[in-house]
Amino acid sequence: FRFKDSLAEDLRSADLVISHAGAGSCLETLEEGKPLIVVTNEKLMDNHQLELAKQLHRDGHVLCCSCSTLVETLESMDLSTLKPFPPGQPEKFALFLDEVVGFR
Amino acid sequence: TGGHTTEILRLLSCLSESYSPKHYILADSDNMSEVKIRSFEQKRSETFSGSQFTLHRIPRSREVRQSWTSSVVTTLYSILYSLPLIYKLKPDLILCNGPGTCLPVCISALLLGLLGIKRTIIVYVESICRVETLSLSGKILYYFSDYFIVQWRDLKEKYPKSVYLGRIV
Repeated sequence: FRFKDSLAEDLRSADLVISHAGAGSCLETLEEGKPLIVVTNEKLMDNHQLELAKQLHRDGHVLCCSCSTLVETLESMDLSTLKPFPPGQPEKFALFLDEVVGFR
Repeated sequence: TGGHTTEILRLLSCLSESYSPKHYILADSDNMSEVKIRSFEQKRSETFSGSQFTLHRIPRSREVRQSWTSSVVTTLYSILYSLPLIYKLKPDLILCNGPGTCLPVCISALLLGLLGIKRTIIVYVESICRVETLSLSGKILYYFSDYFIVQWRDLKEKYPKSVYLGRIV
């Protein structure tokens, strides 16, 4: 795969995604409505990268595991427990900014 | 850079045409962002005509995990470029979301404000990746921005002067 410009097509045809905890990967996958298992490696990752993965896990949007527990996670997972991920709302930002600059 | 650009373009997606002309300031080493921005503006021009935008480049102020002391030096170097640029542009509004590049830009705007040359509104939106802690830019600009927006409740509690609008990207 090395470096494709965009994984969008692959993402759309996938049934399950297993990914590292990078924010872009997580969010893109969740926005496509695909079930996601996030594999974290505490030694390699920047602490702050884990923040989003942990929160998404807390909110029930992703499954989490480490490299060593991946196999058992795949064997015992129940994807129906995953909650859908509602899209962000940039309209709220636009409304806020309009008021700040006085367009409203 | 990368994720920051994607996020900021999403923020821009719902803004009206009154926010024009737009000036995008990028780090000189950033290649991907230019592509994303042009594609965004291209799409936008299909619905809104008269969308004016310009791209500007300044030296990158900090590499990932660069040491504190050398970051100060490289940031000062970037300010040598950002200050004349901001002086020329005299923006009414600066919107930024955390890459190192935003610091020299905001510092320049703050300086021009202190000198009475131009008062710019600085709006900072912390990345959606920041759930529990602020980025380095965030920690600094929390005190110097006019509006500091966070996307998770935890941060709103830790930083009470921030604005919480929920997830906006």
